[in-house]
Amino acid sequence: MSAQDIILSSGTSTLAPAAQVRKKLSKIAKLFDATKCNGCKGCQVACSEWNDLRAPIGEFTGSYQNPADLSSECWTLMKFNEVTDENDKLRWQFTHSGCMHCDDPACLTACSTKDAIVQHANGIVNIDSDKCIGCGYCVTACPFDVPKLDEIDQKAYKCTMCSDRLQVGQEPSCVKSCTTGALKFGTREDMLFIADLRIKQLHEKGFTKAGLYNPQGVGGTGMMMILHDISQPESYGLPADPKTSLPIKLWQDVVKPLGAAGIIATVAVACLHRITVGRNVVDESDNDDDSEAIDHTHPTQSDKE
Amino acid sequence: MHKQNMILRHKLFDRICHWFIVAVGLVTFLTGFAFFFPSFQWLGAIAGTPQMARFVHPIAGLMMCLPLMLMLVRYYHHNKWEKNDLTWMLAIKDVMLENEDKIPAIGHYNPGQKVLFRTFVVTSIVLTVTGFMMWQPYFAHYFASTAIEWAILLHAICAVIMLIFVIVHFWMATWVEGSVAGMLYGAVSRAWCKKHHPNMLKDPELKTIKREKH
Ligand code: SF4
Ligand code: SF4
Repeated sequence: MSAQDIILSSGTSTLAPAAQVRKKLSKIAKLFDATKCNGCKGCQVACSEWNDLRAPIGEFTGSYQNPADLSSECWTLMKFNEVTDENDKLRWQFTHSGCMHCDDPACLTACSTKDAIVQHANGIVNIDSDKCIGCGYCVTACPFDVPKLDEIDQKAYKCTMCSDRLQVGQEPSCVKSCTTGALKFGTREDMLFIADLRIKQLHEKGFTKAGLYNPQGVGGTGMMMILHDISQPESYGLPADPKTSLPIKLWQDVVKPLGAAGIIATVAVACLHRITVGRNVVDESDNDDDSEAIDHTHPTQSDKE
Repeated sequence: MHKQNMILRHKLFDRICHWFIVAVGLVTFLTGFAFFFPSFQWLGAIAGTPQMARFVHPIAGLMMCLPLMLMLVRYYHHNKWEKNDLTWMLAIKDVMLENEDKIPAIGHYNPGQKVLFRTFVVTSIVLTVTGFMMWQPYFAHYFASTAIEWAILLHAICAVIMLIFVIVHFWMATWVEGSVAGMLYGAVSRAWCKKHHPNMLKDPELKTIKREKH
Protein backbone atom coordinates (compact mmCIF):
# COMPACT_ATOMS: atom_id res chain seq x y z
CA MET A 1 0.00 0.00 0.00
CA SER A 2 1.81 3.03 -1.23
CA ALA A 3 0.89 6.68 -1.14
CA GLN A 4 -0.57 6.28 -4.62
CA ASP A 5 -3.13 3.91 -3.15
CA ILE A 6 -4.77 6.64 -1.13
CA ILE A 7 -8.07 7.89 -2.52
CA LEU A 8 -9.27 10.03 0.38
CA SER A 9 -7.23 11.90 2.95
CA SER A 10 -8.38 13.89 5.95
CA GLY A 11 -7.70 17.61 6.14
CA THR A 12 -6.93 18.01 2.46
CA SER A 13 -8.70 19.96 -0.21
CA THR A 14 -10.17 18.46 -3.34
CA LEU A 15 -8.96 21.58 -5.12
CA ALA A 16 -5.38 20.48 -4.61
CA PRO A 17 -5.53 16.70 -4.27
CA ALA A 18 -2.67 14.65 -2.93
CA ALA A 19 -1.26 11.76 -4.94
CA GLN A 20 -4.26 9.92 -6.29
CA VAL A 21 -4.65 6.34 -7.22
CA ARG A 22 -4.47 5.90 -10.96
CA LYS A 23 -5.22 2.20 -11.24
CA LYS A 24 -8.59 0.84 -10.30
CA LEU A 25 -8.46 -1.61 -7.44
CA SER A 26 -11.39 -3.70 -6.38
CA LYS A 27 -12.78 -2.91 -2.96
CA ILE A 28 -12.31 -5.61 -0.39
CA ALA A 29 -14.54 -6.60 2.49
CA LYS A 30 -14.94 -8.81 5.51
CA LEU A 31 -18.21 -10.65 5.77
CA PHE A 32 -19.43 -11.63 9.23
CA ASP A 33 -22.26 -14.15 9.43
CA ALA A 34 -23.96 -13.69 12.80
CA THR A 35 -26.04 -16.81 12.11
CA LYS A 36 -22.91 -18.94 12.16
CA CYS A 37 -20.94 -17.28 14.96
CA ASN A 38 -20.80 -19.15 18.28
CA GLY A 39 -19.09 -16.40 20.27
CA CYS A 40 -15.80 -18.23 20.79
CA LYS A 41 -13.85 -14.95 20.63
CA GLY A 42 -11.17 -16.51 18.44
CA CYS A 43 -11.19 -13.44 16.21
CA GLN A 44 -10.91 -11.11 19.17
CA VAL A 45 -7.88 -12.94 20.50
CA ALA A 46 -6.30 -13.25 17.04
CA CYS A 47 -6.64 -9.49 16.61
CA SER A 48 -4.99 -8.77 19.93
CA GLU A 49 -2.24 -11.30 19.15
CA TRP A 50 -1.45 -10.10 15.65
CA ASN A 51 -1.57 -6.40 16.53
CA ASP A 52 0.08 -6.97 19.90
CA LEU A 53 -2.74 -5.33 21.82
CA ARG A 54 -3.03 -5.95 25.54
CA ALA A 55 -6.18 -4.42 26.93
CA PRO A 56 -6.18 -4.37 30.73
CA ILE A 57 -8.11 -7.20 32.34
CA GLY A 58 -11.52 -5.86 33.23
CA GLU A 59 -14.04 -6.82 35.86
CA PHE A 60 -16.88 -9.28 35.61
CA THR A 61 -20.07 -7.29 35.24
CA GLY A 62 -22.51 -10.08 34.55
CA SER A 63 -21.73 -10.48 30.86
CA TYR A 64 -19.51 -12.81 28.93
CA GLN A 65 -18.49 -9.84 26.87
CA ASN A 66 -15.03 -8.73 27.85
CA PRO A 67 -13.74 -6.04 27.68
CA ALA A 68 -16.82 -3.89 27.98
CA ASP A 69 -16.02 -1.77 24.97
CA LEU A 70 -13.60 -1.26 22.12
CA SER A 71 -10.49 0.65 23.14
CA SER A 72 -7.10 1.68 21.83
CA GLU A 73 -5.97 -1.77 23.01
CA CYS A 74 -8.98 -3.66 21.69
CA TRP A 75 -9.77 -3.26 18.00
CA THR A 76 -12.05 -6.24 17.61
CA LEU A 77 -14.62 -7.09 20.24
CA MET A 78 -17.21 -9.84 20.28
CA LYS A 79 -20.35 -8.20 21.55
CA PHE A 80 -22.65 -10.50 23.51
CA ASN A 81 -26.04 -8.93 22.95
CA GLU A 82 -28.68 -10.54 25.13
CA VAL A 83 -32.13 -10.60 23.56
CA THR A 84 -35.35 -12.30 24.62
CA ASP A 85 -37.54 -13.70 21.88
CA GLU A 86 -41.35 -13.98 21.72
CA ASN A 87 -41.31 -17.06 24.00
CA ASP A 88 -39.31 -15.14 26.64
CA LYS A 89 -36.30 -17.24 25.82
CA LEU A 90 -32.92 -15.62 26.31
CA ARG A 91 -30.65 -15.68 23.30
CA TRP A 92 -27.24 -14.27 22.43
CA GLN A 93 -26.73 -12.27 19.32
CA PHE A 94 -23.08 -11.91 18.54
CA THR A 95 -21.61 -8.90 16.81
CA HIS A 96 -18.07 -8.91 15.51
CA SER A 97 -17.57 -5.22 16.29
CA GLY A 98 -14.72 -3.14 15.00
CA CYS A 99 -14.14 -0.60 12.31
CA MET A 100 -16.66 -0.93 9.47
CA HIS A 101 -14.32 0.66 6.92
CA CYS A 102 -17.09 2.88 5.59
CA ASP A 103 -17.08 3.97 1.98
CA ASP A 104 -17.96 7.48 3.12
CA PRO A 105 -16.19 7.56 6.48
CA ALA A 106 -17.46 10.12 8.98
CA CYS A 107 -14.20 9.83 10.94
CA LEU A 108 -12.18 11.00 7.95
CA THR A 109 -14.62 13.81 7.21
CA ALA A 110 -14.35 15.07 10.78
CA CYS A 111 -10.60 14.70 11.22
CA SER A 112 -8.88 18.05 11.62
CA THR A 113 -5.47 16.87 10.60
CA LYS A 114 -3.92 16.56 7.19
CA ASP A 115 -3.45 12.91 6.20
CA ALA A 116 -4.13 11.59 9.72
CA ILE A 117 -6.96 9.43 8.37
CA VAL A 118 -6.74 8.01 4.87
CA GLN A 119 -8.85 5.76 2.73
CA HIS A 120 -7.03 3.37 0.45
CA ALA A 121 -8.16 2.41 -3.02
CA ASN A 122 -9.23 -1.01 -1.73
CA GLY A 123 -11.61 0.71 0.70
CA ILE A 124 -9.60 0.38 3.90
CA VAL A 125 -9.75 3.36 6.26
CA ASN A 126 -6.65 3.81 8.36
CA ILE A 127 -5.44 6.21 11.04
CA ASP A 128 -1.83 7.32 10.91
CA SER A 129 -1.03 7.61 14.59
CA ASP A 130 2.12 9.52 13.75
CA LYS A 131 0.07 12.38 12.36
CA CYS A 132 -2.90 12.13 14.72
CA ILE A 133 -3.04 15.00 17.21
CA GLY A 134 -5.59 13.45 19.55
CA CYS A 135 -8.39 15.96 19.03
CA GLY A 136 -10.93 13.14 19.20
CA TYR A 137 -13.07 14.49 16.35
CA CYS A 138 -13.10 11.03 14.75
CA VAL A 139 -14.14 9.44 18.05
CA THR A 140 -17.12 11.74 18.19
CA ALA A 141 -18.06 11.52 14.53
CA CYS A 142 -17.95 7.75 13.95
CA PRO A 143 -21.55 6.49 13.94
CA PHE A 144 -20.30 3.07 15.07
CA ASP A 145 -18.33 4.50 18.00
CA VAL A 146 -15.16 2.77 16.84
CA PRO A 147 -11.98 4.86 17.10
CA LYS A 148 -10.71 5.37 20.64
CA LEU A 149 -8.04 7.62 22.05
CA ASP A 150 -5.18 5.94 23.84
CA GLU A 151 -4.63 6.94 27.43
CA ILE A 152 -0.88 6.97 27.10
CA ASP A 153 -0.13 8.71 23.82
CA GLN A 154 -3.50 10.44 23.28
CA LYS A 155 -3.79 9.23 19.71
CA ALA A 156 -6.72 7.53 18.02
CA TYR A 157 -6.58 3.81 17.22
CA LYS A 158 -8.86 1.31 15.53
CA CYS A 159 -8.95 -1.79 13.33
CA THR A 160 -6.65 -1.53 10.32
CA MET A 161 -8.18 -4.52 8.54
CA CYS A 162 -4.69 -6.00 9.11
CA SER A 163 -3.32 -3.84 6.32
CA ASP A 164 0.12 -5.26 7.01
CA ARG A 165 -1.12 -8.79 6.36
CA LEU A 166 -3.10 -7.81 3.26
CA GLN A 167 -0.01 -6.21 1.84
CA VAL A 168 1.71 -9.61 1.68
CA GLY A 169 -1.34 -11.40 0.37
CA GLN A 170 -2.76 -12.73 3.62
CA GLU A 171 -6.26 -12.34 4.98
CA PRO A 172 -7.01 -10.42 8.21
CA SER A 173 -6.04 -12.39 11.32
CA CYS A 174 -9.60 -12.49 12.64
CA VAL A 175 -10.79 -14.15 9.44
CA LYS A 176 -7.86 -16.57 9.55
CA SER A 177 -8.75 -17.67 13.06
CA CYS A 178 -12.51 -18.01 12.73
CA THR A 179 -13.49 -21.49 13.88
CA THR A 180 -16.98 -21.68 12.42
CA GLY A 181 -16.51 -19.99 9.07
CA ALA A 182 -18.58 -17.04 10.25
CA LEU A 183 -15.92 -14.65 8.96
CA LYS A 184 -14.98 -14.46 5.31
CA PHE A 185 -12.74 -12.14 3.37
CA GLY A 186 -12.46 -11.15 -0.28
CA THR A 187 -13.57 -8.50 -2.75
CA ARG A 188 -16.77 -6.70 -1.84
CA GLU A 189 -18.34 -8.08 -4.99
CA ASP A 190 -17.60 -11.66 -3.94
CA MET A 191 -18.77 -11.05 -0.40
CA LEU A 192 -22.05 -9.58 -1.64
CA PHE A 193 -22.52 -12.66 -3.81
CA ILE A 194 -21.82 -15.07 -0.95
CA ALA A 195 -24.09 -13.06 1.36
CA ASP A 196 -26.86 -13.21 -1.18
CA LEU A 197 -26.67 -17.00 -1.40
CA ARG A 198 -26.53 -17.39 2.35
CA ILE A 199 -29.51 -15.10 2.94
CA LYS A 200 -31.57 -17.02 0.40
CA GLN A 201 -30.64 -20.19 2.21
CA LEU A 202 -31.68 -18.67 5.54
CA HIS A 203 -34.97 -17.52 4.12
CA GLU A 204 -35.65 -21.06 2.92
CA LYS A 205 -34.87 -22.35 6.39
CA GLY A 206 -37.52 -20.07 7.84
CA PHE A 207 -35.40 -17.13 8.98
CA THR A 208 -37.47 -14.80 6.83
CA LYS A 209 -36.11 -11.65 8.40
CA ALA A 210 -32.48 -12.46 7.74
CA GLY A 211 -30.61 -9.86 5.72
CA LEU A 212 -27.33 -8.11 5.04
CA TYR A 213 -26.15 -5.14 7.09
CA ASN A 214 -24.29 -2.93 4.63
CA PRO A 215 -25.68 0.52 5.49
CA GLN A 216 -25.97 2.88 2.53
CA GLY A 217 -25.96 5.98 4.76
CA VAL A 218 -22.19 5.60 4.91
CA GLY A 219 -21.97 4.46 1.30
CA GLY A 220 -21.75 0.80 2.24
CA THR A 221 -19.10 -0.78 4.42
CA GLY A 222 -15.99 -2.90 4.07
CA MET A 223 -17.26 -4.98 6.97
CA MET A 224 -20.67 -6.46 6.17
CA MET A 225 -22.83 -8.57 8.45
CA ILE A 226 -25.49 -11.17 7.87
CA LEU A 227 -28.05 -10.78 10.66
CA HIS A 228 -30.92 -13.06 11.69
CA ASP A 229 -33.18 -10.06 11.81
CA ILE A 230 -32.17 -7.17 9.60
CA SER A 231 -35.18 -5.12 10.77
CA GLN A 232 -33.61 -4.68 14.20
CA PRO A 233 -29.93 -3.83 13.83
CA GLU A 234 -30.07 -2.08 17.23
CA SER A 235 -30.45 -5.44 18.92
CA TYR A 236 -26.94 -6.19 17.60
CA GLY A 237 -25.61 -2.90 18.95
CA LEU A 238 -25.58 -1.49 15.42
CA PRO A 239 -27.13 1.83 14.39
CA ALA A 240 -30.19 1.53 12.13
CA ASP A 241 -29.19 4.39 9.86
CA PRO A 242 -25.54 5.34 10.36
CA LYS A 243 -24.29 8.40 8.51
CA THR A 244 -22.14 11.47 8.91
CA SER A 245 -24.16 13.58 11.32
CA LEU A 246 -25.69 16.95 10.44
CA PRO A 247 -23.46 19.10 12.67
CA ILE A 248 -20.32 17.50 11.23
CA LYS A 249 -21.55 18.13 7.69
CA LEU A 250 -22.58 21.72 8.44
CA TRP A 251 -19.25 22.33 10.09
CA GLN A 252 -17.14 20.98 7.22
CA ASP A 253 -19.29 21.90 4.21
CA VAL A 254 -20.91 25.17 5.29
CA VAL A 255 -19.11 26.84 8.18
CA LYS A 256 -15.61 26.37 6.75
CA PRO A 257 -16.21 27.85 3.28
CA LEU A 258 -18.52 30.57 4.64
CA GLY A 259 -16.03 31.32 7.40
CA ALA A 260 -13.18 31.60 4.91
CA ALA A 261 -15.29 33.88 2.71
CA GLY A 262 -16.28 36.02 5.70
CA ILE A 263 -12.71 36.39 6.93
CA ILE A 264 -11.38 37.24 3.47
CA ALA A 265 -14.21 39.70 2.83
CA THR A 266 -13.61 41.47 6.15
CA VAL A 267 -9.90 41.82 5.47
CA ALA A 268 -10.64 43.03 1.93
CA VAL A 269 -13.09 45.69 3.15
CA ALA A 270 -10.58 46.78 5.79
CA CYS A 271 -7.84 47.16 3.18
CA LEU A 272 -10.13 49.03 0.79
CA HIS A 273 -11.22 51.33 3.57
CA ARG A 274 -7.64 52.05 4.48
CA ILE A 275 -6.72 52.82 0.89
CA THR A 276 -9.74 55.02 0.20
CA VAL A 277 -10.46 56.76 3.51
CA GLY A 278 -6.97 56.60 4.95
CA ARG A 279 -6.09 57.20 8.56
CA ASN A 280 -8.30 59.12 10.90
CA VAL A 281 -5.86 61.69 12.22
CA VAL A 282 -6.50 64.04 15.12
CA ASP A 283 -5.58 67.67 14.66
CA GLU A 284 -3.88 68.30 17.98
CA SER A 285 -3.87 72.07 17.43
CA ASP A 286 -7.65 72.09 17.33
CA ASN A 287 -8.00 73.35 20.88
CA ASP A 288 -10.82 75.80 20.95
CA ASP A 289 -11.89 74.27 24.19
CA ASP A 290 -11.64 76.51 27.28
CA SER A 291 -9.37 74.31 29.27
CA GLU A 292 -7.11 73.83 26.28
CA ALA A 293 -7.00 77.56 25.69
CA ILE A 294 -5.70 77.94 29.22
CA ASP A 295 -3.28 75.17 28.55
CA HIS A 296 -1.98 77.03 25.54
CA THR A 297 -1.55 80.41 27.07
CA HIS A 298 -0.09 79.20 30.33
CA PRO A 299 1.77 76.08 29.45
CA THR A 300 3.91 76.13 32.58
CA GLN A 301 0.86 76.14 34.82
CA SER A 302 -0.49 72.88 33.65
CA ASP A 303 0.80 71.02 36.67
CA LYS A 304 -1.30 73.08 39.02
CA GLU A 305 -4.54 72.41 37.23
CA MET B 1 3.36 70.62 18.82
CA HIS B 2 2.53 71.36 22.39
CA LYS B 3 2.57 68.70 24.96
CA GLN B 4 -0.73 69.00 26.62
CA ASN B 5 -2.71 67.48 29.38
CA MET B 6 -3.73 63.98 28.52
CA ILE B 7 -6.85 62.19 29.57
CA LEU B 8 -6.72 58.78 31.20
CA ARG B 9 -8.76 56.42 29.03
CA HIS B 10 -7.56 53.02 30.19
CA LYS B 11 -6.29 52.18 33.68
CA LEU B 12 -3.08 50.22 34.05
CA PHE B 13 -4.85 47.05 35.17
CA ASP B 14 -7.16 47.15 32.16
CA ARG B 15 -4.26 47.72 29.82
CA ILE B 16 -2.35 44.75 31.18
CA CYS B 17 -5.51 42.70 30.96
CA HIS B 18 -6.11 43.80 27.36
CA TRP B 19 -2.61 43.03 26.12
CA PHE B 20 -2.55 39.74 27.98
CA ILE B 21 -5.71 38.78 26.11
CA VAL B 22 -4.10 39.86 22.85
CA ALA B 23 -1.04 37.70 23.50
CA VAL B 24 -2.81 34.50 24.51
CA GLY B 25 -5.56 35.24 21.98
CA LEU B 26 -2.94 35.20 19.24
CA VAL B 27 -1.80 31.76 20.35
CA THR B 28 -5.39 30.57 20.60
CA PHE B 29 -6.33 31.84 17.17
CA LEU B 30 -3.25 30.62 15.35
CA THR B 31 -3.49 27.14 16.86
CA GLY B 32 -7.27 27.08 16.35
CA PHE B 33 -6.85 28.13 12.75
CA ALA B 34 -4.59 25.11 12.30
CA PHE B 35 -7.45 22.75 13.26
CA PHE B 36 -10.16 24.67 11.48
CA PHE B 37 -8.39 24.92 8.14
CA PRO B 38 -6.07 21.91 7.90
CA SER B 39 -4.27 23.60 4.99
CA PHE B 40 -3.03 26.05 7.60
CA GLN B 41 -1.77 23.34 9.90
CA TRP B 42 1.66 24.98 9.81
CA LEU B 43 0.23 27.83 11.88
CA GLY B 44 -0.04 25.36 14.75
CA ALA B 45 3.73 25.12 14.61
CA ILE B 46 3.92 28.24 16.78
CA ALA B 47 3.21 25.80 19.60
CA GLY B 48 5.97 23.45 18.41
CA THR B 49 4.17 20.47 16.93
CA PRO B 50 0.56 19.92 15.89
CA GLN B 51 0.06 17.75 18.97
CA MET B 52 1.43 20.52 21.14
CA ALA B 53 -0.93 22.98 19.43
CA ARG B 54 -3.83 20.69 20.33
CA PHE B 55 -2.66 20.61 23.92
CA VAL B 56 -1.98 24.34 24.20
CA HIS B 57 -5.10 25.59 22.39
CA PRO B 58 -7.68 24.96 25.13
CA ILE B 59 -5.40 26.33 27.83
CA ALA B 60 -4.60 29.48 25.86
CA GLY B 61 -8.31 29.71 25.05
CA LEU B 62 -9.23 29.74 28.71
CA MET B 63 -6.53 32.32 29.40
CA MET B 64 -8.10 34.44 26.67
CA CYS B 65 -11.74 34.07 27.72
CA LEU B 66 -11.49 34.35 31.50
CA PRO B 67 -9.75 37.78 31.62
CA LEU B 68 -12.38 38.94 29.16
CA MET B 69 -14.95 38.34 31.87
CA LEU B 70 -12.83 40.55 34.10
CA MET B 71 -12.95 43.26 31.45
CA LEU B 72 -16.70 42.77 31.24
CA VAL B 73 -16.96 43.67 34.92
CA ARG B 74 -14.58 46.61 34.64
CA TYR B 75 -15.96 48.08 31.43
CA TYR B 76 -19.60 47.26 32.02
CA HIS B 77 -20.66 50.81 32.90
CA HIS B 78 -19.02 52.21 29.77
CA ASN B 79 -20.88 49.81 27.54
CA LYS B 80 -24.46 50.55 28.36
CA TRP B 81 -26.63 51.65 25.48
CA GLU B 82 -27.06 55.44 25.39
CA LYS B 83 -29.47 57.78 23.70
CA ASN B 84 -27.33 58.89 20.76
CA ASP B 85 -26.25 55.38 19.99
CA LEU B 86 -29.01 54.49 17.59
CA THR B 87 -28.57 57.65 15.50
CA TRP B 88 -24.84 56.96 15.47
CA MET B 89 -25.48 53.46 14.18
CA LEU B 90 -27.72 54.82 11.46
CA ALA B 91 -24.99 57.26 10.51
CA ILE B 92 -22.45 54.44 10.17
CA LYS B 93 -21.75 55.42 6.56
CA ASP B 94 -20.69 58.91 7.63
CA VAL B 95 -18.58 57.41 10.39
CA MET B 96 -16.74 55.25 7.91
CA LEU B 97 -16.28 58.05 5.42
CA GLU B 98 -15.21 60.53 8.10
CA ASN B 99 -18.05 63.00 7.50
CA GLU B 100 -17.61 64.07 11.07
CA ASP B 101 -20.08 66.94 11.07
CA LYS B 102 -22.85 64.39 10.50
CA ILE B 103 -21.95 62.05 13.34
CA PRO B 104 -23.86 62.40 16.63
CA ALA B 105 -21.73 62.91 19.73
CA ILE B 106 -21.03 59.77 21.71
CA GLY B 107 -19.40 58.94 25.02
CA HIS B 108 -16.56 56.74 26.22
CA TYR B 109 -17.37 54.08 23.67
CA ASN B 110 -19.19 54.35 20.41
CA PRO B 111 -22.01 51.89 19.65
CA GLY B 112 -19.79 50.01 17.22
CA GLN B 113 -17.35 49.33 20.03
CA LYS B 114 -20.22 48.30 22.28
CA VAL B 115 -21.43 45.78 19.73
CA LEU B 116 -17.86 44.48 19.41
CA PHE B 117 -17.48 44.15 23.15
CA ARG B 118 -20.79 42.34 23.53
CA THR B 119 -19.89 39.97 20.72
CA PHE B 120 -16.56 39.20 22.37
CA VAL B 121 -18.29 38.48 25.67
CA VAL B 122 -21.00 36.26 24.18
CA THR B 123 -18.66 34.31 21.88
CA SER B 124 -16.18 33.88 24.75
CA ILE B 125 -18.84 32.29 26.90
CA VAL B 126 -19.99 29.96 24.13
CA LEU B 127 -16.41 29.11 23.16
CA THR B 128 -15.54 28.30 26.77
CA VAL B 129 -18.56 26.07 27.34
CA THR B 130 -18.27 24.22 24.02
CA GLY B 131 -14.51 24.10 24.40
CA PHE B 132 -14.85 22.22 27.67
CA MET B 133 -17.26 19.78 26.02
CA MET B 134 -14.77 18.85 23.30
CA TRP B 135 -11.63 19.01 25.44
CA GLN B 136 -9.79 15.71 25.02
CA PRO B 137 -8.87 13.79 27.02
CA TYR B 138 -10.07 15.56 30.15
CA PHE B 139 -13.71 16.53 29.71
CA ALA B 140 -15.04 15.15 26.42
CA HIS B 141 -15.86 11.74 27.88
CA TYR B 142 -18.47 13.29 30.16
CA PHE B 143 -20.57 14.22 27.14
CA ALA B 144 -22.55 12.28 24.56
CA SER B 145 -21.19 12.19 21.01
CA THR B 146 -24.15 14.10 19.60
CA ALA B 147 -23.67 16.86 22.14
CA ILE B 148 -19.97 17.10 21.27
CA GLU B 149 -20.73 17.24 17.55
CA TRP B 150 -22.98 20.26 18.06
CA ALA B 151 -20.39 21.76 20.39
CA ILE B 152 -17.73 21.44 17.67
CA LEU B 153 -20.04 23.18 15.19
CA LEU B 154 -20.94 25.99 17.60
CA HIS B 155 -17.32 26.38 18.62
CA ALA B 156 -16.32 26.83 14.97
CA ILE B 157 -19.12 29.32 14.27
CA CYS B 158 -18.28 31.41 17.32
CA ALA B 159 -14.57 31.29 16.53
CA VAL B 160 -15.20 32.62 13.03
CA ILE B 161 -17.47 35.37 14.35
CA MET B 162 -14.93 36.29 16.99
CA LEU B 163 -12.09 36.33 14.47
CA ILE B 164 -14.05 38.58 12.10
CA PHE B 165 -14.75 40.97 14.99
CA VAL B 166 -11.10 40.85 16.04
CA ILE B 167 -10.15 41.90 12.51
CA VAL B 168 -12.70 44.72 12.68
CA HIS B 169 -11.39 45.71 16.12
CA PHE B 170 -7.79 45.74 14.88
CA TRP B 171 -8.69 47.63 11.74
CA MET B 172 -10.66 50.34 13.55
CA ALA B 173 -7.99 50.69 16.22
CA THR B 174 -5.27 51.27 13.67
CA TRP B 175 -7.54 53.48 11.56
CA VAL B 176 -8.16 55.95 14.36
CA GLU B 177 -4.79 57.39 15.17
CA GLY B 178 -4.14 57.54 18.86
CA SER B 179 -6.31 54.64 19.97
CA VAL B 180 -3.53 52.06 19.96
CA ALA B 181 -1.32 54.47 21.89
CA GLY B 182 -4.27 55.01 24.22
CA MET B 183 -4.49 51.31 24.90
CA LEU B 184 -0.73 51.01 25.29
CA TYR B 185 -0.06 53.99 27.57
CA GLY B 186 -3.56 54.69 28.82
CA ALA B 187 -3.63 58.31 27.77
CA VAL B 188 -5.34 60.15 24.94
CA SER B 189 -5.30 63.85 24.17
CA ARG B 190 -8.18 66.20 24.80
CA ALA B 191 -8.41 66.92 21.08
CA TRP B 192 -8.66 63.15 20.44
CA CYS B 193 -11.55 62.87 22.88
CA LYS B 194 -13.27 65.84 21.37
CA LYS B 195 -13.03 64.35 17.91
CA HIS B 196 -13.97 60.76 18.67
CA HIS B 197 -15.75 60.62 22.00
CA PRO B 198 -16.92 64.17 22.82
CA ASN B 199 -19.34 63.14 25.56
CA MET B 200 -16.49 61.45 27.38
CA LEU B 201 -15.29 64.92 28.37
CA LYS B 202 -18.51 65.34 30.35
CA ASP B 203 -17.74 62.31 32.47
CA PRO B 204 -17.50 63.49 36.09
CA GLU B 205 -14.89 60.80 36.78
CA LEU B 206 -12.64 62.01 33.99
CA LYS B 207 -9.00 61.93 35.03
CA THR B 208 -6.36 64.21 33.60
CA ILE B 209 -2.75 63.15 33.49
CA LYS B 210 -0.61 66.17 34.18
CA ARG B 211 2.48 66.56 32.15
CA GLU B 212 5.48 68.82 32.33
CA LYS B 213 5.74 71.12 29.35
CA HIS B 214 9.07 71.60 27.75
S1 SF4 C 1 -16.61 2.61 11.27
FE1 SF4 C 1 -16.09 4.56 12.17
S2 SF4 C 1 -13.87 4.53 12.28
FE2 SF4 C 1 -14.45 2.91 10.84
S3 SF4 C 1 -14.39 3.94 8.82
FE3 SF4 C 1 -16.51 4.09 9.57
S4 SF4 C 1 -16.56 6.10 10.57
FE4 SF4 C 1 -14.39 5.55 10.37
S1 SF4 D 1 -7.97 12.12 17.01
FE1 SF4 D 1 -6.41 11.95 15.40
S2 SF4 D 1 -7.33 10.74 13.78
FE2 SF4 D 1 -8.97 11.37 15.16
S3 SF4 D 1 -9.77 13.26 14.24
FE3 SF4 D 1 -8.20 13.90 15.70
S4 SF4 D 1 -6.31 14.00 14.52
FE4 SF4 D 1 -7.79 12.85 13.28
